[in-house]
Amino acid sequence: MSKWIPLWLHKLSSPPTFYRFAGALRPWLLALALLTGAIALYGGLVLAPADYQQGDAYRIIFIHVPSAWMSLFIYGVMGFAAFLALVWRIKLAEVVAMESAPIGAAFTFITLVTGSLWGKPMWGTWWTWDARLTSELVLLFLYLGVIGLYHAFEDRRQGARAAAFLALIGIINVPIVHFSVNWWNTLHQGSTIRLLGPSTIAPGMLWPLLTMMLATKFYYLASLFGRVRTDLLDLESGKDWVRTIATGGTLQ
Amino acid sequence: MNTGSLQHFFAMGGYADYLWPAYAVFFIVLFVDFLAPQLRRRRLLRELRGRLARKAARQPRQAPTPTEPV
Amino acid sequence: MSRPGLATACAAMLRRDLTLAWRRRGDIAMPVLYALIVTMLFPFALGPEDTLLQRIAGGVVLVTILLAMLLALDAMFSSDIEDGSLEQLVLAPQPLALMLAMKILAHWLTTALPLIVISPLLAGMLHLPTAVMPVLVLALLLSTPMLSLLGAILVALTAGTRRSGMLLALMLLPLCVPVVIFAAGAVAASQQGLPWLAPIAWLGAALVLLLVLAPLACAAALRIALDA
Repeated sequence: MSKWIPLWLHKLSSPPTFYRFAGALRPWLLALALLTGAIALYGGLVLAPADYQQGDAYRIIFIHVPSAWMSLFIYGVMGFAAFLALVWRIKLAEVVAMESAPIGAAFTFITLVTGSLWGKPMWGTWWTWDARLTSELVLLFLYLGVIGLYHAFEDRRQGARAAAFLALIGIINVPIVHFSVNWWNTLHQGSTIRLLGPSTIAPGMLWPLLTMMLATKFYYLASLFGRVRTDLLDLESGKDWVRTIATGGTLQ
Repeated sequence: MNTGSLQHFFAMGGYADYLWPAYAVFFIVLFVDFLAPQLRRRRLLRELRGRLARKAARQPRQAPTPTEPV
Repeated sequence: MSRPGLATACAAMLRRDLTLAWRRRGDIAMPVLYALIVTMLFPFALGPEDTLLQRIAGGVVLVTILLAMLLALDAMFSSDIEDGSLEQLVLAPQPLALMLAMKILAHWLTTALPLIVISPLLAGMLHLPTAVMPVLVLALLLSTPMLSLLGAILVALTAGTRRSGMLLALMLLPLCVPVVIFAAGAVAASQQGLPWLAPIAWLGAALVLLLVLAPLACAAALRIALDA
């Protein structure tokens, strides 16, 4: 394995190295997130024209769609890290997987709430059991299950491996749920409300959306790095490098 | 600033009751997500420093020099 | 002493678990009583109007049986963990996945089968038309093993933790959503006079897949959980 993994990547998986690396990068990521976020919001709320059909209500998509995308993207990252954690027992992969879960759950929650707040004025209902919303709800439960299982173990590393296993099982489940809810909607007519975007995606609406997608990615990395650093301090609390940091020193 | 256009902006074509809470949820949830690990980190370092200080105080009986927490 | 063959080992495992379950026969009645009581609550909650109960009958019976099985899932490995025989099983030369499959089968026979037997009674209490009942039983025959198999993976994963039944439910129920959709969908389709074979076929295909994969996943989960 060590033959085809570059040395710097191998070094990066060492906790103190990653701690320094993430610590150096994090302020920049945060700044980028805030900057691109501000640009995206200005573009979406001020510059973009009102939608032909939905008026100003469609502007919720500038936070709803990026959040939905992130909820799925983070689950993918979590699954990949979980795979690494289970197969090669890399401590950093375990931490990345476990600390991605709360961030992913946050974005999933935002997706559901903003979707609900968009649905009410547009289609008159707070909730609908269409495939996308239902899959999103199941995704939230998957995240919560992973978080809950992780915290049920005394041994944190064992808990991380068990929760990683659960995450991998869950990954297979999401597309299956999506498919089965689609089928179920064809069976029970009359309850299908297709959630659509604005009538057309004008360029004035597209670039703020894409910019916000970028902003949320930067934010995810910034938040993840912060969480992973804290978790590494906890896991390695007996080690020398943690002691150096606790007493105010700097890492070599 | 033209207060008329600012008011128009906040009204959001009549959908303000839905739009602004949605944006609020977005920012509040992400803010909490960002803040919680910071608090955990501070608590963790505080506990760690306390543990180290107690250990240092226990060890050399002659002249205990507890490390000064920064 | 020659090592026993695989078939002998499987039969022995099955016999052991069934004997142990038979010694606690009272426990077999528990899920059945639970299902009966819960099903009874629905007319009290919703009113005795026939048409309403008829519409919800299939779904209510399915969910009730799912919840009853969920309650009984904890017991699948608990006694074996306590007396250490599960660790012995992991160390045994027989393939762990196959041995676990036998344990799951024993659990299904003692938990789900009684529930399936009384399911016409439960459905009848909610006025499900008798013509639909065979589809209900078929759907249960295909879906309950999947619940046992999926549940076994998760119970193995939480082996020996300070787990609560709620955590197991939180983890298991999202995985069961497709199973519930297709099983209840088959019953609903039959009730509406629509073709019901497609969802049944989906259930069958999923069951075959899980029969092969779930014991393997269960073995892997057990190894993760017991590897202290």
